[in-house]
Amino acid sequence: MNRLARSLVALSLAAAALAPAHAQDPRIGNRLDAPSRVAIIALLDSARAQGIPVEPLMQKVNQGVAMGADGPRIVAAVRTLTREMATVHQALGTVATADEIQAAASAVHAGVPAVELGKIKKQSGLRRSLTLPFTVLADIVSRGVPVEAGVNAIRSLVGAGAKDADINNFQRNVSGDIEKGAPPAAAAETRAKALPAGKPDSAKPEQLD
Amino acid sequence: MPEWGGGHTTLETIVQELQRPVRFDDSFERRVMVRVRRLHAERRSRGWVAIASRITHRPGWAAALAACVVAVVTLGLVRSRPEGSANVGGVPVEPVQFVLVAPDAHSVAVVGDFNDWGLGDSALVATNHEGVWSVTAPVPAGVHRYAFLVNGKQWVADPSAPRATDDDFGMPSSALVVEDSTR
Repeated sequence: MNRLARSLVALSLAAAALAPAHAQDPRIGNRLDAPSRVAIIALLDSARAQGIPVEPLMQKVNQGVAMGADGPRIVAAVRTLTREMATVHQALGTVATADEIQAAASAVHAGVPAVELGKIKKQSGLRRSLTLPFTVLADIVSRGVPVEAGVNAIRSLVGAGAKDADINNFQRNVSGDIEKGAPPAAAAETRAKALPAGKPDSAKPEQLD
Repeated sequence: MPEWGGGHTTLETIVQELQRPVRFDDSFERRVMVRVRRLHAERRSRGWVAIASRITHRPGWAAALAACVVAVVTLGLVRSRPEGSANVGGVPVEPVQFVLVAPDAHSVAVVGDFNDWGLGDSALVATNHEGVWSVTAPVPAGVHRYAFLVNGKQWVADPSAPRATDDDFGMPSSALVVEDSTR
């Protein structure tokens, strides 16, 4: 095959690979101004190339449009979410699900270092979904629980084999305690001690590095 | 649920269909054996080809075996599926109740990832019960963001749910994790 033919084949393959990516996002439509639309499409393509879930980014666009945000603000939000998901994708590894990546990104947004999320993932094994634990961690940190106390609480709950229902209760209790005036760290530490029966020894909280 | 209702009738139909005697034309066995011998010659293997050549063709037994497999799989699915859950396009969907106490509100809707943050007709309109607004909707398993839209203009987070920390647009929203109860 001569050089021209090889170039043509490579060009065709590249076009075939790129065309569906744009075609998959008809929901963007004309709801954004042209520069914002171009920027969003570029961010979605970049996310796809990195193996980052695209649907949360698309939903961020939808949320921004529904809430009346202007194009540049939506682009900034999508860019931030893309960066945060890329960070956690690297920290959690390829075993993380799209939901876990999205939930972990919200924890990173709240101020939790991605490396701590990676440790929790490593500790929990492959079968335990961390979507809810990461979501709750983001919530309690946003309510004022210090990052270290929040991470230790979630780590101890996951390590003790707490079910999602237990972690839901933990979130409700902590937020209720804080609303009643409890110091956030004390609320998280105290409520995390109410571990389910049969807790393993590995459930003991560790100091953050 | 319509999708799963009448499961036994469906199952019986499948079983009856599978139990019907299967008729082959006279050349069937000859064609099968030609094919088997050809494969045997090609692969020179004593693996599955050798075993297949020893299998006697008995349509009745095959149909009964297939019916048993279908029955076990179908009944297993019916039993493992909890009440209220469903499967839409391969994605598990669970009923979720959204509740907001807003005695002074004139309207409350739920808007989020699960309805593409659609306003107007796409929004889930809550019903008022003396100031307690609620709506139950099927939501796909996974993590979602959502908020209540009160009186068509005020965004309110769900006070009973975890916060969505990324309120990039200056409006509060909540996080929802829907478990796949069939797992």
